[in-house]
Amino acid sequence: MSSFLTSRNVADVLNGITNGVIYSLVALSLVLVWRSTRILNFAQGAMAMIATYVGFAVLAPTTNYWVSMVVAILAGLLLGGLTERVIVRGLYGKPEINPVVAMVGFLLVLESVAAAIWSTSSRGLPTPFSMVDWQLNHKPVAMSPFALYEIVTAVIVMTVIALLFQYTKLGLRLRAAALAPEVSRLLGVRVGRMLTLGWMLSSAVGAITAVLVASNYFTGLTPTAMDGVFAFGFIAAAIGGLDSPVGALLSGISLGIILQFVGDYLNSNAIILVALGMLVVSLMVRPNGVFTRSAQRRV
Amino acid sequence: MISVTGLSVSYGAVQALRDVSFGAATGEITAVLGANGAGKTTLLRTISGLVAPRAGTVALDETTLTGRRPEDIVRRGVGHVPEGRGVIAEFTVEENLRLGAMISPMPLRDGLDQQYQWFPVLGERRKQAAATLSGGERQMLAMARALIAKPSVLLLDEPSLGLAPLVTAQLMHTVSELCASTGLTVILVEQNAKSALRIASRAVVLYLGRLVADDVAEVVASDDQLRQYYLGMVE
Amino acid sequence: MRGVRWNQRIVAAVALAAAAVLASWIGVGTARAATGLSVAAVVAILGATLISSREFRANHPVVARAAISVVAVDVSLTVTGFFSATVNSNLAIGAAMSIVLLGLSFLTGSSGQISIGNGAFMGVGAFTVAIWANHHATTPIAVVLIMSVLAGGVVGLLLGLPATRLRGPYLAGMTLAFAVAFGAILNLFGSWTGGDSGLQLPHAVNAPTWVVNFFTPQTSSLTTNSVWLVDVAIVTAGIALFFMANLFASRTGRAMRLVRDNDVAAELVGISLPRARVMAFIVSAAYAALGGGLWTMINNAVTPSTYGFALSITILSLVVIGGIGTIPGAIIGGLIYAFSANVIAWFTAHTGLNPQGNVASQLNGIIFGGLLVLTILFAPTGIAGFVRRRWLAWRSR
Repeated sequence: MSSFLTSRNVADVLNGITNGVIYSLVALSLVLVWRSTRILNFAQGAMAMIATYVGFAVLAPTTNYWVSMVVAILAGLLLGGLTERVIVRGLYGKPEINPVVAMVGFLLVLESVAAAIWSTSSRGLPTPFSMVDWQLNHKPVAMSPFALYEIVTAVIVMTVIALLFQYTKLGLRLRAAALAPEVSRLLGVRVGRMLTLGWMLSSAVGAITAVLVASNYFTGLTPTAMDGVFAFGFIAAAIGGLDSPVGALLSGISLGIILQFVGDYLNSNAIILVALGMLVVSLMVRPNGVFTRSAQRRV
Repeated sequence: MISVTGLSVSYGAVQALRDVSFGAATGEITAVLGANGAGKTTLLRTISGLVAPRAGTVALDETTLTGRRPEDIVRRGVGHVPEGRGVIAEFTVEENLRLGAMISPMPLRDGLDQQYQWFPVLGERRKQAAATLSGGERQMLAMARALIAKPSVLLLDEPSLGLAPLVTAQLMHTVSELCASTGLTVILVEQNAKSALRIASRAVVLYLGRLVADDVAEVVASDDQLRQYYLGMVE
Repeated sequence: MRGVRWNQRIVAAVALAAAAVLASWIGVGTARAATGLSVAAVVAILGATLISSREFRANHPVVARAAISVVAVDVSLTVTGFFSATVNSNLAIGAAMSIVLLGLSFLTGSSGQISIGNGAFMGVGAFTVAIWANHHATTPIAVVLIMSVLAGGVVGLLLGLPATRLRGPYLAGMTLAFAVAFGAILNLFGSWTGGDSGLQLPHAVNAPTWVVNFFTPQTSSLTTNSVWLVDVAIVTAGIALFFMANLFASRTGRAMRLVRDNDVAAELVGISLPRARVMAFIVSAAYAALGGGLWTMINNAVTPSTYGFALSITILSLVVIGGIGTIPGAIIGGLIYAFSANVIAWFTAHTGLNPQGNVASQLNGIIFGGLLVLTILFAPTGIAGFVRRRWLAWRSR
């Protein structure tokens, strides 16, 4: 039994889950915004990165990890709200490439501003838990306290979001505003406010994700730290279906596991190529997502 | 009482409403009749604030509604059941109703109970997704969702569209009973003039955005010219 | 009447050409330079005469487009003779960038799609040229460039296949993933691509000796080569422009605009929608690869870091700021790119920023990113659209 837990394949699965929950979180934050505003937020990763800098670089000398985490989340909420009010609001109802272009531009601005203020060199964050794997009969199990912390945090975030949307009045309004904006207005839902709130929530989820990514000793915090993570998160979201939070969760974790095997058995440089291939194939076979029912576009 | 005064609406170069004025008396059903493209739906959308008029005003009793946002107008007691019903198919029946009840002064439980009393079939299907309902049930849900907010005015846009005659008759009967028992003011937009005129006390007729008749329902119903030229009723 | 007007035009053109030839011979020192200048002037004047006739443009659109391209190339080539090596090298880079922008402009303008991965497609072309040159050093430039176009087209096809069923943001996200993945892909084939350090060309791309001997037998080959590379870039851009102008105006181009405006309606009219979308994607990738191939020749080397994610975003900025979906927009974008570094350096010097500091090194991104957001929010048609609107307003006064 113990040799099973420390075996190569189990290690791949465990590491894969640890990476996968991060992809799931990014995918979830993309889905939150996509469902309500039909905008794919290409600046998602960069916004989260800025929030993390605000939490950790600005407060670095004075506070501990958890205070910084809270500040980063608040910064994420604020940045998400501001982005929606200042940039995104002017893009509703425009051709679908306009928001794409605007968010890519915003991504570039955010990454450049971060590099201008905090430089491009990597910044180590305090790590709240040990990154050394647990031992079993003097052999490492591919799971460290830090990895467990990542997984637990992801589970908490997803549960909170799910409960919020499914069981609260606010969640009902948020979902209604996303599904049927005009009808919602006729029922008294302040749809504009709901969209802002959707962006704030998504950005806060992003901030938590970026803190997790940057707390990892091997990554650290750089202005472009989230580019790769964003790419994998997007791939997960697109495979799972941008409309489906559950799809985002499942495909994020599956992607994490599959890619861990690819990296272990093939080549670490092949990981993103395989991910890209999976994206291309899945988009061709199930354009609306592996985990959603497909809907036909009409005139 | 809803008073519409000198209302003009245009979409780009197309003028949808031209200088329309009429009043809908409190506690009565006012039918708005006319052919396709006469401006009936635009009229309702302007009253509930979804469309901004180019000129003219809409007032509820003493309060001007024009210039307010739809989410504020509904809070002032104007419920709007839109064309095509606007039921959120992904929601369950009860979720749809809960959404409507958000702005209601009444406790949610009481509101739900009341609606289930009026529309028992909704009570039976409360946990079902709205997508599984039939057309008539959807229309009932849409109405119940508007009524649960306790509006003083209800705007109904083509409730009979796509429904079987028997279902339509039943629906019209419910509307008329609601109106009588609660003192609700109803503005009923219908292409199906016959069934609307049966329950309405007044009727206005729109033709290409203009008001061509505004009279007691019986008079409109018996005006052969109106029926022939504007309502397309041939017997 | 028409004949008379033609005659007048030709008389005027011949007179002008004669005057230009005379001026070249008086103004320029050597006989050969004067010959070159005269030929350039005569070609430009004849071409302009053809283009200036509305009837000719209507009756022979393809010839007219060819004439426009020839005149543009001719004028550009002539002026490069008077510029410094630095300006010429900027122009070469910018001309290659214009090709890339033409491709992206076509993709968006014709089918309403967008790519955030054209920097990586450029990289495909850049590495194709470098890899081929390192294995077969003697292949002529034109052939190597065509191979980079083909390589770009093949990769574009692979990534564009989902365009048969998808649109908009999904595709954009996929190209973004490709741009982010490109570095790892290069590393995966490290034995071919040279890994992180990239590849050097085995020898610089030189002007053929007959060209050198004809124009400047005395000057060193170094100066000649700086002109030669910009000339190659300009001629290639001219050819690319010619093909693109025809593509924009062709039945396919018009069909694709229909696809952009309403794809369901286009399908009802009987245009093969998926094929149109994938075609646009392939063309855009192939053009990007051609631009990248030229860059390798101009720089005499290729490094993976050039073709990172940042380049892809810059390309998007340039095409949007220049005017997306238009040919002039692509050329404006290329010119902006050619001189943006100089402008930013000038700005840095005059504001007293530390040129080695964090802020100065990020100005490029802040300015391009900021302009991109502002353009799409407030002037989505870019410079080309703005100028065109002004021009139409002025003419209709």
